[in-house]
Amino acid sequence: MAFRERGRPSSLVAWAAALLLALGVERALALPEVQKQLRSLAEAELLICIQCPGSVQNLSEVALYCKQTPGLMLHARCCLNQKGTILGLDLQNCSLKDPGPHFPQAHTAIIIDLQVNPLKDDLAGTFRGFTQLQTLILPQDVSCPGGINAWDTVTFYTNNQTCQGQRNLCNSTGDPEMCPENGSCEPDGPGLLQCVCADGFHGYKCMRQGSFPLLMFFGILGSTTLSISILLWGTQRRKAKAS
Amino acid sequence: MGWPNIFQRGTLLSRFSHHHIVVFLLTFFSYSLLHASRKTFSNVKVSISKQWTPSALNKSVELPVEVWNSNHLFPSAEEATLFLGTLDTIFLFSYAVGLFISGIVGDRLNLRWVLSFGMCSSALVVFVFGTLTEWLHFYSMGLYCCLWIVNGLLQSTGWPCVVAVMGNWFGKAGRGVVFGLWSACASVGNILGACLASSVLQYGYEYAFLVTAAVQFAGGIIIFFGLLVSPEEIGLPAIEAKENLEEDSHRPLINGAENEDEYEPNYSIQEGSPITQVKAISFYQACCLPGVILYSLAYACLKLVNYSFFFWLPFYLSNNFGWKEAEADKLSIWYDVGGIIGGTLQGFISDVLQKRAPVLALSLLLAVGSLVGYSRSPNNKSINALLMAVTGFFIGGPSNMISSAISADLGRQELIQGSSEALATVTGIVDGTGSIGAAVGQYLVSLIQDNLGWMWVFYFFILMTSCTILFISPLIVREISSLTQRRQARILSE
Repeated sequence: MAFRERGRPSSLVAWAAALLLALGVERALALPEVQKQLRSLAEAELLICIQCPGSVQNLSEVALYCKQTPGLMLHARCCLNQKGTILGLDLQNCSLKDPGPHFPQAHTAIIIDLQVNPLKDDLAGTFRGFTQLQTLILPQDVSCPGGINAWDTVTFYTNNQTCQGQRNLCNSTGDPEMCPENGSCEPDGPGLLQCVCADGFHGYKCMRQGSFPLLMFFGILGSTTLSISILLWGTQRRKAKAS
Repeated sequence: MGWPNIFQRGTLLSRFSHHHIVVFLLTFFSYSLLHASRKTFSNVKVSISKQWTPSALNKSVELPVEVWNSNHLFPSAEEATLFLGTLDTIFLFSYAVGLFISGIVGDRLNLRWVLSFGMCSSALVVFVFGTLTEWLHFYSMGLYCCLWIVNGLLQSTGWPCVVAVMGNWFGKAGRGVVFGLWSACASVGNILGACLASSVLQYGYEYAFLVTAAVQFAGGIIIFFGLLVSPEEIGLPAIEAKENLEEDSHRPLINGAENEDEYEPNYSIQEGSPITQVKAISFYQACCLPGVILYSLAYACLKLVNYSFFFWLPFYLSNNFGWKEAEADKLSIWYDVGGIIGGTLQGFISDVLQKRAPVLALSLLLAVGSLVGYSRSPNNKSINALLMAVTGFFIGGPSNMISSAISADLGRQELIQGSSEALATVTGIVDGTGSIGAAVGQYLVSLIQDNLGWMWVFYFFILMTSCTILFISPLIVREISSLTQRRQARILSE
């Protein structure tokens, strides 16, 4: 089942903002006041970045990626862009048995590091919605989500393995009618597909197209009715006797 | 016979004022709109059953629940279709019951109010049924059934009222042809409904209901402000009075022509005289009027055949010949076309003869033949369309004639002329009985087709058509004997 936390519960925001202020005072002071406020607002909901203490490991792939790409900055365990979107997540050595309830917040991530965690080998559903993910570093005993076919290259190292380059399976299955009528196939994370409404369609089972011009319809109908009624009353019923 | 009778009075058209034309168009389109909203329902059935069911697809691909699987009113499309069929049957029965009631109501209250109220309120019910439930995402079988029963009752106000208004304005002479043309309103409504529905269906089925309901509501408002229910309302003489006066002045000129309306020397009306408040006839009295019961029973049999053709023809074509559904839908229009032409032409002939029953009987005899012919139609679209039009001519024609022109004749016959309002009540009885026949027929046809096959459905149709002939045969005997009696009486007096 797909669950994605896109809602923004405001109480959570306030709570997280307070927490962030307490945690990141030092760093926040270095930034200009406006930027600080913007950041604390944007980071407010990124609980995934702070659920594991510490920050991004200095020599990790995530740190490397974040430093190489201009405009990105590190924040706790995350690498964020200017808008506060998670692009990298480094959760290595966090004693995680599973990535936890806040993990879907990182669905925008391009690179994720999960090595040195006692993860269970069942990550298939965990990465639903992680469509941007290009590099995933896992403990050695955990296989790449979606299987080998879902990735361009899978490389094994001594203490981890890397799944690189997510494949789009929509085109590879060769079944053009994979989705119901008006639906179109879209990748939904490594090895996962989903049917969304094709371009221009919306509503239940994507049966609807465009939006009905309510105002125009009732405008025309109302004025036509009014004029015909007046015309007919004038020519027909005006002289009628009340009965 | 009656040739000079019609043509000496001038052409039909010159006798009609602009009031006649407006009344013709208003009643025509008000019934068309009522029928259009029924047609909308049958045209959006596929979309509705999709809306009510989860997706049946079972593949590896993830179907997000909120888009594909959130509605579970019915587990599968088949069960939704079954429920929609049940709604059709419920509608027909409540419509039939409603016809008996609303005819009585129509004669007692102002026809204009009843018709206008019926159109507007049924539009509101359709709006709630199709649009509001969808906007609120509230799907409930009980609510749908209740709404459709109410809709059947409200829709039934339409037919008795429009026929009564038409009967008030158009006299017996020429009634056949005028009503024949006019009874195309149901077919026009079907086409209108199909066009409206298909043009907005892309926005969602709820808008198909919204558009037809809104247009029907607007029609109700226009009826309220524009319809004159009878010539007396603006001080014109009543139609019988006018005809009698005219016939009186023409009588010496018409050589050998016999008028069906009894000439009453002491019956006259002064123009502008206050409308005498007439008392409506009771339901029992209306049933006892000569011809009402027999025509009702005959119409029950005939409407059964006629409606079965409407409902089952596209299915039969795609089932029996393997033609595509859209093609079969289009092809089945020829049955309507045949019906319109048949109704008009037979109405015209019956006007000329001034007898309706013999024309009906002859047409129905030929209908039996055309049914046999149609059941043996080869798998060829143009031949089938031709045979279909011929069948429509001989079955739809008489059916249209009984439900409109003959109902008006019966409700305005000399026994009750000028003394009471019976038109809507009689129309309600005839059409109500017919609708019960049609509702039962829907069930029987599906039963026969399931168990015995299509050929037996046609045998059933032939049996029902023969029953129709049987029921009107006493009327033929009566009409022919009255004709010969009058002729003899005249010969004696001369």
